[in-house]
Amino acid sequence: MVCNMTVTKVVEIPLVTTEVPIGPQHPALHEPLLLKVYADGEEVVKVEVNTGYNHRGVEKLCEKNTFYRDIFIAGRVCGICNTVHANCYVRALEYLLDIKPNNRARYLRVLAMELERIHSHMIINAIMAEIVGFETLFMQIMLDRERVMKAKEILTGNRVLGDYMMIGGVRRDIDEVKRARIRDLLVKLKPRIEFYKKVFEEDETIIKRLVEVGLLKPVDVTSHSLVGPVARGSGVRIDSRASDKYDAYDEIPFNVITRTEGDSWARMMVRWDETLEALNMCLYILEKLPADGNPVPDEKRLPRVIPQGESYARVEAQRGELTYYVMSDGKSTYPYRVKIRTPSFNNIINSAFMYVGLSLADVPVALTSLDPCISCMERVIVIDLEKNTKYKLTLKELAGGRV
Amino acid sequence: MKRPKLVELVLQNLLRKPATIQYPREKTPVEEDSRGIQYADLTKCTGCTLCALECPADAIKMTPIPQGYEIPAKNPKKIYPLIDYLKCVFCYRCVKICPVNAFIVTSKYDIAGPIQINSEEYSLSTVKKVSG
Repeated sequence: MVCNMTVTKVVEIPLVTTEVPIGPQHPALHEPLLLKVYADGEEVVKVEVNTGYNHRGVEKLCEKNTFYRDIFIAGRVCGICNTVHANCYVRALEYLLDIKPNNRARYLRVLAMELERIHSHMIINAIMAEIVGFETLFMQIMLDRERVMKAKEILTGNRVLGDYMMIGGVRRDIDEVKRARIRDLLVKLKPRIEFYKKVFEEDETIIKRLVEVGLLKPVDVTSHSLVGPVARGSGVRIDSRASDKYDAYDEIPFNVITRTEGDSWARMMVRWDETLEALNMCLYILEKLPADGNPVPDEKRLPRVIPQGESYARVEAQRGELTYYVMSDGKSTYPYRVKIRTPSFNNIINSAFMYVGLSLADVPVALTSLDPCISCMERVIVIDLEKNTKYKLTLKELAGGRV
Repeated sequence: MKRPKLVELVLQNLLRKPATIQYPREKTPVEEDSRGIQYADLTKCTGCTLCALECPADAIKMTPIPQGYEIPAKNPKKIYPLIDYLKCVFCYRCVKICPVNAFIVTSKYDIAGPIQINSEEYSLSTVKKVSG
């Protein structure tokens, strides 16, 4: 068999423009992504999103490792959203095994995920402050973010990589002392977040740089399948936590935050409001944590072989809807297929139309407002097995024919 | 438009002690039960290699216990898990999966250094040396 892989990219370059590459070294965040910007003077005419600098082959790696080893590999797809990745994968396996964790485990899972949401939203807001040239605010937010990191360390045993999820529950329990300490940290954090929200609402520098930059209409959001705070910032009420009610989200009260402005500022404000909402949810969980048995399953007794079948789980990550598809052939301890679709994959690749009309200096701001996570999203391989046929993968196809 | 009082905050912070920690000279405080380095207690280990099979990072290699150490009778293969801490991701899968709970956990985290670091010294310190 002859493998013939031909990928040709068709790019229409507008006339009388200058090509300005933004990236791939740290276009806005410290992640590799190339925005090829075609500019007419200062105005952006066309943007081409080039990815592929951080492809690590995680899905293939998952097929080569056992189901249980994959829990930890899934957690390492992305550093900032590691517990949601692990939770989504673990829930996909739980659906196949028909195991239901007890209430305490479900609550603790939500606690870990919401703590992660708080620190993720804080870091992107801090980076936004840095991008607009407000480094004092960046330092301030990062200093207060340490409180959440400490809370996460108390809960999971590590600042960033929690490795907290296991089939049938979580990997460590929480006692009264830890509960009180986490509550203390969060209560102290709340006025600080309210203050930062006020800064983002009132500060002239931030408002001048963010308001009406990177406008997204609700119709564009739905037609380009943008997800998460990007969609909610344009008034599209989409949230898997509210629609799926996985884990303990059916019992914990929370609001889905939406704003109608649709610009970069609205997206950042949605994140601040969600941070406050997540904080309230954490405090609620810490107060009303059920005590219906041990949330920590004995890892030695869990089934080694997963029954045959396909499973599909989704979770609301910090950046939007994250889905895992797991297929098991029922014979081996290895999954047959693991497919990951991350929110940044939709948000970054499909949003090239958003930059048109902006000035060059606003491109990093608009990109940061999408909260890109490049290590999450890079998993596209095009393999053409047929002989002597050309397969053209255009940006148009990648974006679903709407660029 | 009312300006937020960031200037006041900056002035307040000038009077506070620095938030940064001068790391190698000053240790970062961590929780007592945070996941630091772990090593096998050779008096309990049976050499079953389950930890090496389960390790997601392939950081564990079953290695023969060197001559001159008292090897317990329950370890017929005379092997023990040697953890390469530079590969280890500290997920504690080995700790949780061990059928005889042979792993000793610590919260020690500052393992970076010029030499290759593994659990050899730690593990061998758990068994007695045979004289001669």
